[in-house]
Amino acid sequence: MIYWEKELEVLSRKELEKIQVERLRKTLSQAAHSPYYGELFRKLHITPEKIDRVEQIRELPFTTKQDLRDHYPYGFLTLPKRDIIRLHSSSGTTGNPTVIFHNRHDISSWANLMARSLFCAGVRDTDVFQNIVGYGLFTGGLGFQYGIERLGALSIPAGAGNSQRQIKLMRDYGTTVIHAIPSYLGRLYEVFQAEGLDPQRDTELRLLVIGAEPHTEEQRRRIEEMFGVKAFNSFGLSEMNGPGVAFECEYQSGLHIWEDAYMVEIVDPQTLHPVADGEYGELVMTTLDREGMPLVRYRTRDITRILPGDCPCGRTHRRIDRITGRSDDMFIIKGCNVYPMQIEGVLLKIPEVGADYLITLDTLNGSDEMIVEVEVKRDWFNGDVARLDKLTRQITNQIRDEVLTKPIVRLVEPGSIPKSEGKAVRVRDLRAALKAGNYSA
Amino acid sequence: MAYQVSIFLENKIGRLERVTSVLKENRINIQNMSLIHTANGWGILNLLVSCPERACAKLCEAGMSASLRKIVALEMQDVPGGLDGLLTKIASAGVNFTNAYGRVVEPGQKAFFFIDADQIEDINEKLQAVGLTPVNDDLIYGV
Repeated sequence: MIYWEKELEVLSRKELEKIQVERLRKTLSQAAHSPYYGELFRKLHITPEKIDRVEQIRELPFTTKQDLRDHYPYGFLTLPKRDIIRLHSSSGTTGNPTVIFHNRHDISSWANLMARSLFCAGVRDTDVFQNIVGYGLFTGGLGFQYGIERLGALSIPAGAGNSQRQIKLMRDYGTTVIHAIPSYLGRLYEVFQAEGLDPQRDTELRLLVIGAEPHTEEQRRRIEEMFGVKAFNSFGLSEMNGPGVAFECEYQSGLHIWEDAYMVEIVDPQTLHPVADGEYGELVMTTLDREGMPLVRYRTRDITRILPGDCPCGRTHRRIDRITGRSDDMFIIKGCNVYPMQIEGVLLKIPEVGADYLITLDTLNGSDEMIVEVEVKRDWFNGDVARLDKLTRQITNQIRDEVLTKPIVRLVEPGSIPKSEGKAVRVRDLRAALKAGNYSA
Repeated sequence: MAYQVSIFLENKIGRLERVTSVLKENRINIQNMSLIHTANGWGILNLLVSCPERACAKLCEAGMSASLRKIVALEMQDVPGGLDGLLTKIASAGVNFTNAYGRVVEPGQKAFFFIDADQIEDINEKLQAVGLTPVNDDLIYGV
């Protein structure tokens, strides 16, 4: 058996949409009990009873992170505090924190989604699951904890850090699954090596779960090589509970997003109109099974796309691609929406150039152009002009195929682009319209 | 086989000077140079120097992209029509090249013509078949 809840995971789209409509009506009725949505729905004359098709979601207002902050802390709460049993919140370093409240039903529903997600990736009740992320207000700790327990595996709530201790726990208790952020796994592997240990030989590890941090497919493959097991992607955000929103199955080709629990839309971040399946846009989500604090058309700011087609695993819940960036990073050139991560993705697949890049948007001879600078790798260079020209054309074509507008590709000397550590500036906008201050943003 | 050093250069102020300053520091003499410019904002500097391996290593150490490329040198007369006569023979050998440069060795008497031979297979055999003998490496490097 590969499904946690077969009756829900392989529903026909029609049956799934029927559930979505019912739950959306219920969600809106519940949301109307919160001060924020109550007032908004009255003002916009929104009547949940009139919803009978999923497409009607487009008639509803969006909710933004700013809305959550503006009505901090209790503006979105639909129930008396007596009924609420837990809150999770962001650190709030850039304004009011965003806080999400859960009642008993919400915690149980989340635990079930988390168990379903883990089961989907291949975790079973016979596993020993070491959760190497922070507990506390961060959702990755308790979110996974409840899911592991619901699934019935043996949980080790190790928390983050102290790699020596993590390795000892893994070896003493025969850990078979670990969950960690991808960058930490690289560090953990180094500690294994420093101790003269090899995770492939000296542990019983059989799969990894990674998430909570953007990473590329190449990084994932590297982690899989280090540990000699498959690494499955987990996606979630605290506004949608936390982990357990979307998860990879055994085929590792996109993350199934649980559509009985969330209504999923991908919209153009500028026009807010829906984009076609396969096209990148901002992920917009509506909770369908949360009572304490339902959210309607929440703009996640995460950029992804729906992967068209069916998954061989048989699950009918659609798959989203890995997150390729934030909608705040998007720029528009020649009418095309471009995310820096798309360009990074192309460059990572071209071994002749380095991973660092710089995008400059500039007005050249009256026309807006996207200039992409990349470094030629030193050991590939052999002094041949034709070979460099060919490489330039190859990069140009591959970027054009990805972002649908032709860039100007400039090869530069190695070491001349700032390294991508921390938050290096990847995009510079020098366009004339912007300089004149009349760019419609 | 003789070599030149090819260096990838962005078309920016001071980039050529970075190369020459490394050569100066290491007391490497330039015998010949050619600069290829492309429309893409970069170019390639080809240098014939007294010690190509050391020059290449020093430039790489300094962070530049430098590479050794095979060259062939042919002797010709430094008189009107001298190059024409040589090129006729090279063409008859079926050799096609993309970069070349020359140097006068004895004014009015002798000159060398250098061909970038990195991508040309069996160039020596082809040239010898039409009676052209490549110049000895020592003479090329000017030692």
